[in-house]
Amino acid sequence: MTRYAARATLLLCALHAGAAAAQPITMEASATAGHSSEDAVSAAATQLRAFGDVGPRIHVYAEAAWGTTTDDQVDAFGAAYPYQNRPQIVETYAERMFRPRGAILGVKGGRYRTPFGIYAASDQSYNGFLRPPLMRYDGYFSISNNFLEQGADLIAGVPRLTVEATVGAPADIGSVHRRSGLDTVARAQAYAGPIVAGVSYIRTEPYQSPRFAHGRAEFGGLDLRVSYSGVELRGELIDGRPFAGTKTIGWYTDLMVHRVGMGPVTALARIEDLAYQTAPPFDMHGRRQTVGARVRIIQPLALQVNLIHQSGAPAAYGGQALDVALTYTVRR
Amino acid sequence: MRRELRLRRVERLLLVAVKLLDSIDSIFRMRRLRPMLASLAISLSLLPAAAAQRESAMDLHGTARVGGRPVQNAVIWLDAPSLPAAPRVGPRVVLDQRNLAFSPHVLAVRVGTTVDFPNNDRVFHNVFSFREGKVFNLGLYPVGTSRPVLFDRPGLSRIFCNIHPNMAAYVMAVDTPYFAVSDQAGAFAIRGAAPRDYRYHAWRPGGMEISGDWTPSADRLAVDWP
Repeated sequence: MTRYAARATLLLCALHAGAAAAQPITMEASATAGHSSEDAVSAAATQLRAFGDVGPRIHVYAEAAWGTTTDDQVDAFGAAYPYQNRPQIVETYAERMFRPRGAILGVKGGRYRTPFGIYAASDQSYNGFLRPPLMRYDGYFSISNNFLEQGADLIAGVPRLTVEATVGAPADIGSVHRRSGLDTVARAQAYAGPIVAGVSYIRTEPYQSPRFAHGRAEFGGLDLRVSYSGVELRGELIDGRPFAGTKTIGWYTDLMVHRVGMGPVTALARIEDLAYQTAPPFDMHGRRQTVGARVRIIQPLALQVNLIHQSGAPAAYGGQALDVALTYTVRR
Repeated sequence: MRRELRLRRVERLLLVAVKLLDSIDSIFRMRRLRPMLASLAISLSLLPAAAAQRESAMDLHGTARVGGRPVQNAVIWLDAPSLPAAPRVGPRVVLDQRNLAFSPHVLAVRVGTTVDFPNNDRVFHNVFSFREGKVFNLGLYPVGTSRPVLFDRPGLSRIFCNIHPNMAAYVMAVDTPYFAVSDQAGAFAIRGAAPRDYRYHAWRPGGMEISGDWTPSADRLAVDWP
């Protein structure tokens, strides 16, 4: 990890030094502190980011994160970043974009989030939901938000239809880590008016112990976003196998409302379901409903409040929880 | 002045002619004449300003400062009530979304200008302006696509992204062709203004709008916030 981070930093510096005329790199820092009524857990986290152009259409991005929680068995606040109580390199990549005749052609190399479904950090961590969807949490036999790839990514198409493909190795940062091996991830996205629809496929190594988890993990997914007049409806559906002889089906639907008259308030709601099918008693079926709000108090300071109702397995999910967090972000 | 009055009379006559043609259009089928006359009227309405500009246009240079230090991204504009209104369909300018930031940070446009908001990031953005000025919410759109907003009335619009809290920009729509935005050294140049007394206004991010008077005898316009 340390060696990789050093190499990535050197690459970033070399690229930056070689492009004196490029626009400056932006530095950003975010800090979050939160408390949940579920087991009275508290958490704090910070992320440092550097991003910008280091040459014509060459974009670089580097991000490090640190987070800690008083109870790592509770998934509160883990929407897109791990809480392992140690600094970690998250994404570190360089990307070259070409725009031949209005088309899109991009090549990315480095370490980046697994491009499966709705995967960008800003789609999961800034939007007001303080927990990841069940199907995107570490250890729930699905595709975690803390899964990263270390490899090369190609995107090609036109703005209305793009295809993205990745070949790499797992570089996960959460509480579970996939075994090393070759990953293949593909995603297609179509856009028409207020609708963005995507279909994804991944073939990767399981994160479970090889003593009982044989074969490879393989998932397909659908995602949809509809955005109109300040109302955004989005969701994902995932279906596949975390390893041979098992099956995971999960989905979530988010509603985010930010209309004129609501000022700094974005209202949120989520319903979700996740089923892991295997021989009893190891199977599980969890459901969760969330309502909440994100309030932009001043431009860099946001309050996020989530009220959660959970049911089904795993056993930790029962009853209700209130999560509250403040996030402060500065940029230079 | 007489020339301007004469032109305005001709302009009014042409507009009356257009209305008359509307009423008799169905009888005499003179549709082809109507756009020609309308174009002529618009051209005539712009003639006084154009003529004035040609005859004695000047560039007004100045510096914007806060507490004596140069300030970037200050918007300075001159009142020009005698000029004709901007055409309903004006030029297009771009407020880019790249590297999780709006560029430029401050944009000044004339009322009637359409601003394009292209997304040049791989992630989605959701551009909105709710408080004052132009109110809109552009929703989500992917890399390589763009959505337009027509700024059809004067005022300041504060532009944000509902996904990225650090993305912010300002669009100041002004009802005059004479405006400029200060550079890093606080310098600005308002091009093509007729040499006469002006009431000027200035605004900067985080500051109040200030106003003052400027006469051609003054060499440069000094805009100072305390």
